[in-house]
Amino acid sequence: MTHDLKFWNRSPERDDSRRDFLARLGFALAASAVASCSRAPVQKAIPFLNKPEEVTPGVASWYATTCAGCAAACPLLVKTRDGRPIKIEGNAESVRFGGGTCAAGQATVLSLYDPNRLRGPLWHGEPASWSEIDARVKPQVAAASRRGIVLLSGTIVSPSTRALIAEWSARFPRFRHVVYDAVSFSALREATHACFGVAAVPHYRFDRAKTVVGIEADFLGTWLSPVEFTRQYADRRREGLSSGGVQHHQFESGVSLTGSNADRRVAIAASEQGAVALALLHRIAADARVAEPLPRVEVAIDDRAIDRAADDLWRDRGRSLVVCGSDDPSTQVVVHAINTLLGNIGVTVDLDAPSLQRQGDDAAVEELIESMNRGDVQVLMTYGVNPLYDFPDAERFARGMESVALSISFADRADETANASHAVCPDHHFLEAWGDAEPIAGSFSLAQPTVAPLFDTRAAQDSLLEWLGKPPDFYSYVREFWRRELFPRQDRSRTFDEFWDRALHDGVYDDSAPRVERRYALAEGWRAAAGAIAADHQRAVSARGPDRYELRLHETVAIRDGRHANNPWLQELPDPVTKLTWGNSIAIAPSVARSIGVATGDVVRVVAGDRSCELPAYVQPGQSPSTVSIALGYGRDGAGKVGNGIGANAFPFVSASAARRAYLRTGVALQRTGRHRELALTQTHHSIEGRSIIRSITLDELLNERSEPAPERPSLWPEREGGEHRWGMAVDLNTCTGCSACVTACQAENNVPVVGPDEVTRSREMHWIRIDRYYDGADDDPGVSFQPMMCQHCQNAPCETVCPVLATVHSSDGINQQIYNRCIGTRYCENNCPYKVRRFNWFQYAGNDRFDFTMNDPLERMVLNPDVVVRSRGVMEKCSLCVQRIQAEKLSAKQEGRTLEDGRIKTACQQACPASAIVFGDLNDPNSEVARLRRSRRHYHVLDELGTRPNVGYLMRVKNAPRGEPEPL
Amino acid sequence: MSSTAIPSLRPVPASRPSARPVAGDAGDAALREITDDVMRPLVTRPGAGWWACFAASTIALTIGVAMVAYEIATGIGVWGLNRTVGWAFDITNFVFWIGIGHAGTLISAILLLLRQRWRTAISRSAEAMTIFAVMCAALFPLIHMGRPWLAFWVMPYPNSRGPLWVNFRSPLLWDVFAINTYLTISLVFWYLGMIPDFATMRDRTDAPVRRFAYSVLSLGWNGSARTWSRYETATTLLAGLATPLVISVHSIVSMDFATSVLPGWHTTLFPPYFVAGAVFSGFGMVMTLLIIVRAVMHLERYITAAHLEAMGKIMLLTGSIVGFAYATELFNAWYSHNVYERYAFLNRLAGPYAWCFWIMVGCNALAPQVLWLRRARRSVPLLFVLSILVNVGMWFERFVIIVTSLHRSYLPSSWTMYRPTIVEVGTLAGSFGLFFTCFLLFIRVLPMIAMWEIKAGAGRAAERRA
Repeated sequence: MTHDLKFWNRSPERDDSRRDFLARLGFALAASAVASCSRAPVQKAIPFLNKPEEVTPGVASWYATTCAGCAAACPLLVKTRDGRPIKIEGNAESVRFGGGTCAAGQATVLSLYDPNRLRGPLWHGEPASWSEIDARVKPQVAAASRRGIVLLSGTIVSPSTRALIAEWSARFPRFRHVVYDAVSFSALREATHACFGVAAVPHYRFDRAKTVVGIEADFLGTWLSPVEFTRQYADRRREGLSSGGVQHHQFESGVSLTGSNADRRVAIAASEQGAVALALLHRIAADARVAEPLPRVEVAIDDRAIDRAADDLWRDRGRSLVVCGSDDPSTQVVVHAINTLLGNIGVTVDLDAPSLQRQGDDAAVEELIESMNRGDVQVLMTYGVNPLYDFPDAERFARGMESVALSISFADRADETANASHAVCPDHHFLEAWGDAEPIAGSFSLAQPTVAPLFDTRAAQDSLLEWLGKPPDFYSYVREFWRRELFPRQDRSRTFDEFWDRALHDGVYDDSAPRVERRYALAEGWRAAAGAIAADHQRAVSARGPDRYELRLHETVAIRDGRHANNPWLQELPDPVTKLTWGNSIAIAPSVARSIGVATGDVVRVVAGDRSCELPAYVQPGQSPSTVSIALGYGRDGAGKVGNGIGANAFPFVSASAARRAYLRTGVALQRTGRHRELALTQTHHSIEGRSIIRSITLDELLNERSEPAPERPSLWPEREGGEHRWGMAVDLNTCTGCSACVTACQAENNVPVVGPDEVTRSREMHWIRIDRYYDGADDDPGVSFQPMMCQHCQNAPCETVCPVLATVHSSDGINQQIYNRCIGTRYCENNCPYKVRRFNWFQYAGNDRFDFTMNDPLERMVLNPDVVVRSRGVMEKCSLCVQRIQAEKLSAKQEGRTLEDGRIKTACQQACPASAIVFGDLNDPNSEVARLRRSRRHYHVLDELGTRPNVGYLMRVKNAPRGEPEPL
Repeated sequence: MSSTAIPSLRPVPASRPSARPVAGDAGDAALREITDDVMRPLVTRPGAGWWACFAASTIALTIGVAMVAYEIATGIGVWGLNRTVGWAFDITNFVFWIGIGHAGTLISAILLLLRQRWRTAISRSAEAMTIFAVMCAALFPLIHMGRPWLAFWVMPYPNSRGPLWVNFRSPLLWDVFAINTYLTISLVFWYLGMIPDFATMRDRTDAPVRRFAYSVLSLGWNGSARTWSRYETATTLLAGLATPLVISVHSIVSMDFATSVLPGWHTTLFPPYFVAGAVFSGFGMVMTLLIIVRAVMHLERYITAAHLEAMGKIMLLTGSIVGFAYATELFNAWYSHNVYERYAFLNRLAGPYAWCFWIMVGCNALAPQVLWLRRARRSVPLLFVLSILVNVGMWFERFVIIVTSLHRSYLPSSWTMYRPTIVEVGTLAGSFGLFFTCFLLFIRVLPMIAMWEIKAGAGRAAERRA
């Protein structure tokens, strides 16, 4: 024992022996070595004890479902990995929507993992259990059967849900279902009802129209059903190459995605939509020899623009289409009259199977507010709507809600309306729920859960069933509905189970019952409508003044009516036209900006009556000088950590007259504030500077001139040895609309980080693919062109020669590869890239509180694609041509012992493209689609004079010279 | 000869011969006096001027260290770079400092071979300046990396990573070799030049530690004729070896730009243009330092107006070459009919960074033209101002080449602006802090004038007088 103690009780004067020293040295060395060898923290990985059927770790499963990102209800395929949905694709089985999606649809998968979603029901703002909620709601519902129950919902495309709501109506005589769309199509519905007796929005067929005239309708971006319309529009442009060209005239005040794709875009004052329609009607009526006198109005635009549009329409009568986004029923009536005179009804305007995507009824909403204020509503249920944010007179709505005995919100988060409700019964995210949809009459799709509910949420339909006293099992309800309603109408499947399984597998089911084609005669009201337009126009003209502008409110491709405000992918998605991210602005024409002395970024106060807001100006070439435009959907304060306080809310500017909401204001004043706010723009230079980056060809040249494609220029580099494949891509600029679905798809597929508004302002966005947008020509009437730009995978890549450590090299398959773990971050490759497609990790974006967007919260990180590495700070990254998809397909072909056929591999951008403008494939295979496109006369390489020999090429845009008139320079 | 002295400048002794001094002539100072004068800063306590400079330098250095630490801890994002402008202050500073370093090698190698005896008074400090400038320069490629802790990957060393190796096609790799070679040769040259002086100091020091240190450093120098003979041979050989470096280092640095595809970078003119610019800026910095040092350390007898005048001539020559290069670039851009090339240079002349371009032209090409006048070449205050202007102008030259070319290249969609952050400015200040701290320590611990060379010159002058 003494021996042991000796070590500890050593007297200070005694010297340590050499042994002691060595022992201590050894201990210290070993200890520090052990301490410094600790590995990264071990994360718990628990293997399956019993592997669930159909879940193989590392192998993706696909489920068909239906998008709830907006009321367009596109059929989807959802990729799940290890039980987690991680990627959305369009469902190629759908004949209407195709395999494409929009940007918002792509991003819905991120909303599933939104940390601001409610974890369970709330009662007066406090967490409660479902049984508590039910116990409190049921007696109220029973009691309310005398006073009034109202379900205020957005457009419901689900036929089963509509049936369920019908049951409520049958059960409670005082039950009302009010449909409220934040961006209303009420006028179009009303007009269609007035003209043809169909209370719905027509289903438009752009693919059948050789000439399209759009009046303030952004049908490629946000209007009604953009994915479907983009697909049709692209098909029509593709067909136009052989059928002598197609024409698209657009009359609009701001520059929309649709307008920038038009062959002829004419800037009009927002209040002139009716006048333009009426002017067109004049021409068409004259052509159609309709002798009735019509009132005339003066339009402040060039008559020839109207003439040209009318001529094209008349020439293609029966194969043309006029669509209008006006909020004025009279204007919509006149548009219907034009389409009728042109013989388009039943061809391009389908009324037999109308669209069910917008069913909002402004008058009913107005009535609801009044009855709430009268105290006639006992129970108010809000489902998929947020009126306290997006109703123009939200205070009035809020006052009305105060007189309601029980207000219930089905919102998935504590949004503006949910915060003012007594109970919040969070609905599932659509990826967790059963459902169905009928976006166009007769076109059905099913929705199935792709993951078990993440939180203690309950489908709104289950709540409705529960309170109706039925078993809360919406799955059975949907199934029963399909058995009852749809199964008898088909003859393909003999048993219902077979029918159901097929429908569930395909995701879509088109009614095979023969169509009843009715003939529609135009009701007589259209002459009166013309008179109303003339009167309205007079009023708008008289409201004009030297410093008075009109204000047009519009949705954006990303945020739409504000429902996607908490989605970081969408906040950071550049607007296709303005290239603005993270906020809205007030678009002002260059001439107006000069005269009032504001530049892009100068904060302007917009005053309209008693409403005003402050927003940075955006000088928009092509904007009508009489109109300013503001995007809706911003300025939320109940969206969540990402969307709150981004931009300003423009819904209060929506004018409501005669119970009808109009997204237009006249007599608006602009005041300079003297402040400046840098906008988070991803593109700040807008002129193409006369460079031949985006090339076009006229149809005439394409069809009639024979010329060989320019020979490949000589190179000092030795030819690369060919590998088994040479992957390449062709992007068709003739069909690309610039909609930006590819940008979000790429972000989702490749774990591209979101960097936030400050970093975007510093030009540090990380998108691997971007859409370049250029203006050329006069700034009051510019030509707009789009070009998707991603790594060009050059055969002689400038980036590859300059990297000192070979962190970017060429694969034998023709891919320019970036090796993240070899990269030391000199950024030399970025400097030497002529296309500027390389993206540097300026910070640690994953797991960093400073970038609390998509990769910080463990919940958000569930959306990450496990096949793609999350990059650390200090390394360069860029488009990989979705190498993980290439490798997966190569592997499965090898395993199955087959050759890899063309079209099997789809890159994320290609798959998302609703216009099918991107084609990927093997350039070594002469029969592949991409090789075929490469031989096209339209094919070229961007900056081919540099000799980089890219594997990504472009197909020239085909310019439509207006018929009978030479193309002006 | 300067009679309009800057305030702290000690008047030049009146006893100097009235005729123009012979180049390399250190006046009529006796040999012992030379040793005394040169060694005085080493043995006396430094004056207030030195302390003030040292305090300022160390503060700047501390700021720089803090900024670099913050940058490495947080990410390159703390700088103002973006997806389009991947280099700006970092590589500007790198090229700037490498350029500064050039005068040292030029003076010690080429002028030695050309037997320009006036170099003796300034060669030692110019060589020291080279070393410190290359140190500052080498810092920037290191810290500009996204992952500087992996910087050793640029070295081609045998490793366990399979076939992974460096890319010999990358000019950045050539840089690594060029800079390392340059630093090594410069160090050896510097040290070799100091050996006889170390011996002198060894012999004159009584303090045991110093004596030991100097005796080790002097490598047993005994001053015999044989030693001297071998020494001269070795110096000449080394000078011959170092001479190509003067050309090669900056030529290779220029290839970082010249071999790229970027308009404004992609030009065959760069190697000679960069070498001339480097010598130009190097002499500018030597001039700045020496004018300060001769005043602060009272060495006017050794660093005379004649030396400054000779340097002024070189500045005039190299400045004019640089000016000619600017004109050639512009002519080529116009003559090429290449839309990208033309735009790149128009953008320099009239774009958002045009003010940088005009600072560059004004300081580098126009200002040195006053040196055609002998009066200007002999005016110390004017030379001092001019040397500062040259330093500023040459920094802006690199900034203009790097940033204006990058910020607007091929695709206008990616055009953007670059604004430096406080971290970048602090890092630049820090590099100056490092440079001056090293230099100030150098003049306190090492003989900043080559005593033996001055003495040799004085001996020659005495012979000539006799």
